[in-house]
Amino acid sequence: MVDVALSAQQLVKFYGGRRGRQVVHALNDVSVVLERGKTLGVVGESGSGKSTLARLLVGLEAPTSGSLEIDGESIHMSERGDHRALARKIQLVFQDPFSSLDPRLTVERALREVLHVHKLHAEHESERISQLLAMVGLTKRFATRFPHELSGGQAQRVAIARALAVEPEVIVLDEPTSALDVSVRAEIINLLIRIQDELKLSYIFVSHDLSMVRHISDDIAVMYLGRVVEAGRYDQVFETPLHPYTIALAAAIPVPDPEHERSRTSAPVSAILQVEHVTQGCPYAPRCPLVEPYCREVAPTLQEKADGHFVSCHVALRASR
Amino acid sequence: MTSTLLSLRDLHIGIKRRHHRVDEIVRGVSLDVDAGEKVGIVGESGSGKTLTMLAILRLLASPPLSVLEGEVLLDGEDLASIGDRRLREVRGGEIAMVYQDPMSSLNPLLHVGSQIEETLRAHGVSSEAARVRTREVLLQVGLDDPERVRLSFPHQLSGGMIQRVMIAMALSTSPRVLIADEPTTALDVTIQRQILELVTSLQATTHMAVLWVTHDLGVVASLVDRVVVMYAGRIVETATTPRLFERPSHPYTKALLESLPTQSTQHRSPLHQIGGTPPDPTQLSTGCPFRFRCPYVIAKCSEEEPPLIDRGSSTAAACWRDPTEW
Repeated sequence: MVDVALSAQQLVKFYGGRRGRQVVHALNDVSVVLERGKTLGVVGESGSGKSTLARLLVGLEAPTSGSLEIDGESIHMSERGDHRALARKIQLVFQDPFSSLDPRLTVERALREVLHVHKLHAEHESERISQLLAMVGLTKRFATRFPHELSGGQAQRVAIARALAVEPEVIVLDEPTSALDVSVRAEIINLLIRIQDELKLSYIFVSHDLSMVRHISDDIAVMYLGRVVEAGRYDQVFETPLHPYTIALAAAIPVPDPEHERSRTSAPVSAILQVEHVTQGCPYAPRCPLVEPYCREVAPTLQEKADGHFVSCHVALRASR
Repeated sequence: MTSTLLSLRDLHIGIKRRHHRVDEIVRGVSLDVDAGEKVGIVGESGSGKTLTMLAILRLLASPPLSVLEGEVLLDGEDLASIGDRRLREVRGGEIAMVYQDPMSSLNPLLHVGSQIEETLRAHGVSSEAARVRTREVLLQVGLDDPERVRLSFPHQLSGGMIQRVMIAMALSTSPRVLIADEPTTALDVTIQRQILELVTSLQATTHMAVLWVTHDLGVVASLVDRVVVMYAGRIVETATTPRLFERPSHPYTKALLESLPTQSTQHRSPLHQIGGTPPDPTQLSTGCPFRFRCPYVIAKCSEEEPPLIDRGSSTAAACWRDPTEW
């Protein structure tokens, strides 16, 4: 039996639609399952809905419909109300640590605030704070510092410590290394992997840095225009991608190897200057090099092609293995 | 042999502090760029790469920033001593710049077309010719419906389209040098790929020199002929692109390359860390600024900062140690 940490079923999120405005389908029937202690990487371009998914999971926004279960418990997702119970189970780490930390709070006070709000470790707050700092590789002397006295990597460590403070089951990491200097990215990734192994944490890792996603994730979900178009184990998705969009995405990654770059054939990515609003058929059809007339009529659904490898594409599903 | 088009000679940039103190944050950058050459400038935030680029066009916010020493020559002409009129010709005319955040580089209240036309008219093109040229460059950067794009406001275009508009604007005056400061950092990989291919093909037809500032070594590998690595306000390595990736000559370059996960990196294995933090360029002591993070440090490193030392095949690195002895 698979030990499931988080399961979201058929999440739908529409924006707009009031007073005759156009409805934006930010998420269109998205289901994800996260196994305990594992990392689910979510990739896609801007506008694919990956950040909307992250916001729904942590309760920053309520879905139009759909259900969420964390740790076997059904979560009632409403726009208002007390989110403390949800926050104990799932935490979010943002891209830019400096804009997610209060500039007027020292590291210690930022962490103390979390413990206060959740009434945790009331008797030994200070020990808990030192313990949290140690967990993210910061010494005690950082406790008295303000965010502006920290480097990008140090600030992101504090943001991670703050997420860890409530002992969550799941941490959603929204582009956690994108705002950092190249030389500190590896450091943060190593830290994330280490604490995950120590604490049996489950991660949802949202990023457009595909080489980092590939490195840290066990499973991958590829999103396009509010849908999951491909999902599977990291090696399945990156080594034998099925969906033409995943293939294009993988091909577009700049590789730090001039040999590879010189042999690069012209990009298979078709011009996507503007995302067309598709009302019928496959949403990827306007960009797809493999498009067939049928694709423009009937939208494909996510189906299992190989063991645990799902794809939403008529052409890929029909092709023999 | 091609000739040097743009030349930076021992450029020093300082920032004024209180009590007449001046901190030097770019410390002697020399760089020659040939006509038609594509050069990548790689470095972390605070390494001085953007300031160096801004100094070329005298765009440093002064005060507090100012060029303390050194010169910038365009075809032998010293850009520091030219008059305002000539400076306006050079800016956007002979040397064009594309910035990191395209959305904030355009006026949100004006059609993008009129902003390109404004650039052209500032360089003495008639309004009729400017309109024609605008349409032409929009097509050139792959915007297939130039008429619609011309009459769009910035917010009506996607990030990729806006960056194409910025490149179109930069190209409209047929510059001899294009300076691009992380123009694809804010874009998706697929759009980034398109922009890289666009610049490569435009460069092949126009033979302009390209200075591409980035922190992404992957981008560098696919685009440029030569790479300049900056650290703490100085150039620490310069090499041809294949050589840099094959045999880096500065420990910092080597560490940067090793920190990236590749196809062969074992899944979830610890990545190579550089350790330590990038130095504060205003708080440097004597000696090599990388020595605190360097695995190959020797006694000499804390005594004297190494100059760029020739390591053969047009490679030079600011490191006392020969990379073959690492």
